[in-house]
Amino acid sequence: MPSATTVITPARFAEGLSYSGFLAKAALNHDKFDASYQSVPLTEDDLSFLRKAAQLPNGPAKILAIAEAWCGDVYRELPTQVRIAEATGMELRIFFRDENPDIMDEFLSNSGKSRAIPVFVYYTADLRYITHFTERSASAHAGLEAAKTEAKAELSLPATATFDNLPDADRQRFLREVIAKIRPYSLQWRQDAIQEIRSLLSAALKLPHAG
Amino acid sequence: MPDDLHPAKPIVYTIRGCDACVKLLRKWDTDGVAYEERHVESAQSVLDEARRYGDLVPIVIWPDGRVEQGFGDTIGCFI
Repeated sequence: MPSATTVITPARFAEGLSYSGFLAKAALNHDKFDASYQSVPLTEDDLSFLRKAAQLPNGPAKILAIAEAWCGDVYRELPTQVRIAEATGMELRIFFRDENPDIMDEFLSNSGKSRAIPVFVYYTADLRYITHFTERSASAHAGLEAAKTEAKAELSLPATATFDNLPDADRQRFLREVIAKIRPYSLQWRQDAIQEIRSLLSAALKLPHAG
Repeated sequence: MPDDLHPAKPIVYTIRGCDACVKLLRKWDTDGVAYEERHVESAQSVLDEARRYGDLVPIVIWPDGRVEQGFGDTIGCFI
């Protein structure tokens, strides 16, 4: 939740970048962003729900994104927000995390310890906070934990093994195995992120989750 | 002759603001380890170079050719 006093004023929001402005300034990973934009897994049902939400008097009209172009979660998830904005008329403004620490500080995760990105914040037309989504779906976090458990079993590592307590060689084998296990789930987790955002908006707006 | 596969001192690919990168460099600085830092976010060419070695930073190329990814108790930052 953002603090009661926010740095997101109308003037500050307007300083955020458009998607094209973000890409022009980022100059990194244009191919990754383009590929994600071309494969955004929004369904007609998703778009129907989001358009209904946007038409509510206190529905989402603005999306604030906190991002950095080098980040894998950003180039996978930000294009979904671009498509949502295009389809619903919501205004998307993007802020670089490391140039805007005061904005990032309002949306820290992991009990205030992590500056995880992307963050997508939904606001009403007059910039009242509705809800926000951070980094990746709950299913992705759970999948990562499951991959760690499976990798430990396959590599005969102790159940108590963590990235922090293994010898370097085992740690690298463990990491490579975990990465190999989660890679096939990229699209599924992007779909799950959309469902999670729908659930967040549904709860905040008391709008049925169905499209 | 030293090259990127067998550098004279470890090469470390980092991202500004990545917790695992900060922890690794803090440890090396404390231990007096000499290293060459390459910022992944500085240019597409550096990012592409880092991706040849791994999926998440920090990525370390040791003088003996070993490649290590991540540091500490977190998985690191995917690039």
